[in-house]
Amino acid sequence: MAITSTSSSAAFSKAAIAGVVGVLAVWSAVLPQSASPRFYPDDPLWTDNDRVADASKVVEVEDSNSYDFVVNTLGHPGELRDVRALNVNTVDEVPDSSWFTNRIGRNAMSTESVRRGPDRAERINVTGWKVSGGKSAGVQPGFRMTDAEGQIYQIEVDPPSNPEIASGAEIIGTAFYHAIGYNVVDVYPAEIDRDALVIADGATIRDPLNGRRRQMKKYDLDNVFNRAARLQNGHYRVLVSRFASGMPLGNFRYYGRRPDDPNDLVSHEHRRELRGARVFGAWLNHDDSRGINSLDMLERTNGRAWVKHYMFDFGSILGSGTVYAQRHRPGNEYMFEQKPGWLTMATLGLYVRPWITIDYPDVPKSVGRLEAARFDPVQWKPEYPNPAFANMRPDDAFWAARIVSKFSDAAIRAVVEKAAYTDPAATDFMTKTIIARRDKVVATWLNQVCPVVDTTLSADGTLAFTNAAVDAKAATAPERYELNWFRFDNATDQRTPVGEAMRVTAGSARVPNGLTGDFVGVNITAVHAQQPGWANPSTFFFRRASGGWSLVGVERGAQTSAPTSARR
Amino acid sequence: MPRVVVLCVIFLSFVSSPASAQEPQTREEADRRRREQQAQDPATYKPNGLERALDFAEDRAIFLLDREGVHPKLGSLTTGSGFAYGVGFRDRDLFSNKGAVEVWAAGSIKRYWATEARLTFPRLANNHLHLEAWGSHRDYPQENFFGLGPESNRDDRSDYAIRTDHFGGRAGVRPVDHLLVGAGMEYLEPRLGAGQNDRYPDVPVVFPPSEVPGIDSRSDFIRSAAFVEVDYREPINAKKGGWYRFDFSHYDDRTTDQFTFNRFDADIRQFFGFLAGRRVIALRLAASTSDTEAGQTMPFFFMPTLGGNETLRGFREYRFRAPHAILAQAEYRWEIWSGLDGALFYDAGKVADQRSDLNFKDLESDYGVGFRFNTNSGVMFRVDAAFGSKDGNHLYIVVGGVF
Repeated sequence: MAITSTSSSAAFSKAAIAGVVGVLAVWSAVLPQSASPRFYPDDPLWTDNDRVADASKVVEVEDSNSYDFVVNTLGHPGELRDVRALNVNTVDEVPDSSWFTNRIGRNAMSTESVRRGPDRAERINVTGWKVSGGKSAGVQPGFRMTDAEGQIYQIEVDPPSNPEIASGAEIIGTAFYHAIGYNVVDVYPAEIDRDALVIADGATIRDPLNGRRRQMKKYDLDNVFNRAARLQNGHYRVLVSRFASGMPLGNFRYYGRRPDDPNDLVSHEHRRELRGARVFGAWLNHDDSRGINSLDMLERTNGRAWVKHYMFDFGSILGSGTVYAQRHRPGNEYMFEQKPGWLTMATLGLYVRPWITIDYPDVPKSVGRLEAARFDPVQWKPEYPNPAFANMRPDDAFWAARIVSKFSDAAIRAVVEKAAYTDPAATDFMTKTIIARRDKVVATWLNQVCPVVDTTLSADGTLAFTNAAVDAKAATAPERYELNWFRFDNATDQRTPVGEAMRVTAGSARVPNGLTGDFVGVNITAVHAQQPGWANPSTFFFRRASGGWSLVGVERGAQTSAPTSARR
Repeated sequence: MPRVVVLCVIFLSFVSSPASAQEPQTREEADRRRREQQAQDPATYKPNGLERALDFAEDRAIFLLDREGVHPKLGSLTTGSGFAYGVGFRDRDLFSNKGAVEVWAAGSIKRYWATEARLTFPRLANNHLHLEAWGSHRDYPQENFFGLGPESNRDDRSDYAIRTDHFGGRAGVRPVDHLLVGAGMEYLEPRLGAGQNDRYPDVPVVFPPSEVPGIDSRSDFIRSAAFVEVDYREPINAKKGGWYRFDFSHYDDRTTDQFTFNRFDADIRQFFGFLAGRRVIALRLAASTSDTEAGQTMPFFFMPTLGGNETLRGFREYRFRAPHAILAQAEYRWEIWSGLDGALFYDAGKVADQRSDLNFKDLESDYGVGFRFNTNSGVMFRVDAAFGSKDGNHLYIVVGGVF
């Protein structure tokens, strides 16, 4: 009897639990989910605090040239996905981080600031420094020196065939990439008296012919200066690069994450500043944009370790091939690209790749091989596929092109003059060519989406905006803008259209009647016969704030579904 | 029943909460939590096998052709030796980087083998003086011999073995860039024997000794030589420029005084690049002639030869042999990818018993196609297929270039 009673009770309990769970399941399904809102109260964030977690366990990862080439050429590393960059803030900009610091793109920079770049000193004098070791990597001949305070510098020479070519490129590239926002080391031109050099006790070099580390000897310096352009006074012009502070961790990659860095949340191929580097690379012909030309350093702040990411080695940009004038292929075709290769093979060379016929202007040897007439920003390529570049979308390119547009002619000339070319014709040609390439880059990539920027919504309901392409003289004004307003539910991510499509010809409009709520948005396209890309909409979200509206969100182009982590 | 109620209360309080207490309230907080979460589960980067291998190879300069220290010795030992492999050691540090010593030994799949020690000072006197000394032993057990003169017959193929010790030195002066003028002396001890290829008869079986001068020789020689070399190729694996070399050698028979002779070799190579150097026309004209004093004879194994992967590619190695020879080669090379060229080639040449016959009449010829894996410093590996000769088609897979 007792047994029967127990069985009945258990059966009842099971049935009750099953019933309750069923009801609760239905209930939970109809309840609003507690998902993350589209916009947090602190959006948009302009600083990504990627030093918050201690990264002291990070270990060095130094890729070899051959592995970087093989894996990127044949391996297709990383993810190729049409998804918005995962590290942008809600207004589609890159927040300051260990990777990038907004400079000319967000705040006006004086010509002098752009020219000066990261430099801590106006000029540098290596007299009294000691040679402290060999150079660790790269094709450019060089060595290391240490100043009286123990700061290490890398010294590199220019090739006899093209004096000033690599040092000039490095100085120009460093200044531009710094103003753009990347971390770079300061570099200086200097003059060295070979006979005055002293090798420090304990200086070592990794023998380039067998890889073994050994004591550095006088002939190691001879090997450097035998391949160096000499000045008329018998000295040598050299490039002096200051070593970054911290502990070297090798290079970063343009794909994946550093698994041992807790602050590295976003796959690198989906970082906006790495995708957009394709635009900067095209502009300045930085065909050497690859992982091995980057540097991670472990720094400490307030006792906590974090990784700082540097771009470096700009000696092969513009017309320089570092130890010779740049060849025809770099910038135009990958080192290994199947289709043109097979075509050339099959036709016994009768098929001529287009870049072979580029007629480079006759310019001073310090410039190398550079031109703007045949330059096509879209077709430009680095030495081999770059996963971040492959993921670049119109919104990434727009972000980068807008930064490029901020470099004035005067700023460009000032940067080129910093290279201190002996021949004024080199300075003139370089300046004109960089300006011409800038104009092409801007005209190409500011016009692939509706280039409406600087959008504001005043308390009285007046929308104002400007056109980045028109402002940059990359396009004429459109025939009209078309605006579609909507009410936005921040919790559910739902947009409810309000009013009819609005057409305006200037950069202002009134909010339609009936548009209420804490969040509103407007979708803007532009009609221009020569700019079909302007039909690719830009969308702006505003949040009601005390005394008016604040811009809280920007989307450019049609958005694909993105994972939660992308919704920033 | 009470357990059910408790469960319901917990569940309802969880799902009906407008915002769970676990949800971050700001973007910064959300990001911080993700980083802290990741910090709790750190992973260490583990390089894969390919990465480790390439890193090691690059770190130790394994791919470097002129690697310092112990290095592999790959390639052929001589025309027709087959692929050879061995080990070498190179040290430039011995003389404060002014000179280099290199020793190597290698054997081939056809049982050829050689060893050599060489001491080189390439950049003395501010790069104006070049000094070199060497000693070597070469053992070539199955060298082809088809007879002497332009009318030699393919069906008369026979073979012989030759073992030679060399000791010598030379000095070169660079008075101006691109020009090297020099002289040298070498002691040679060639010793001949029966060929080791069982598929073909030995030379004496096919040819009487009177038709093969030197076949019974056991002479030692001193070779005195002078040379002029002009080299303005750009780069070494040339896309433009030229390389010209003229060698005059006097071979003095120190043993029997029967085989003393003079030999003169001229080799002119010119390269015309176009389409940004991605297409190259390469031309070569080489000639060799010799003379002897009265009562002297030139031994057959010192005569110029044609045939094989470097000369007439439509013919067997050493297919033609005589005291005089002329060779003309033309190649059209086109770059397919960086590091890989295609080539169409044409070879023509002949050997002659008399210097007066050294002209462009009645040349043997062939044509073909090839592929070259190269760097700016030279061709590492090539495949040439030759057609159109009276001796049929030939395929060569060779370590090294042709010219």
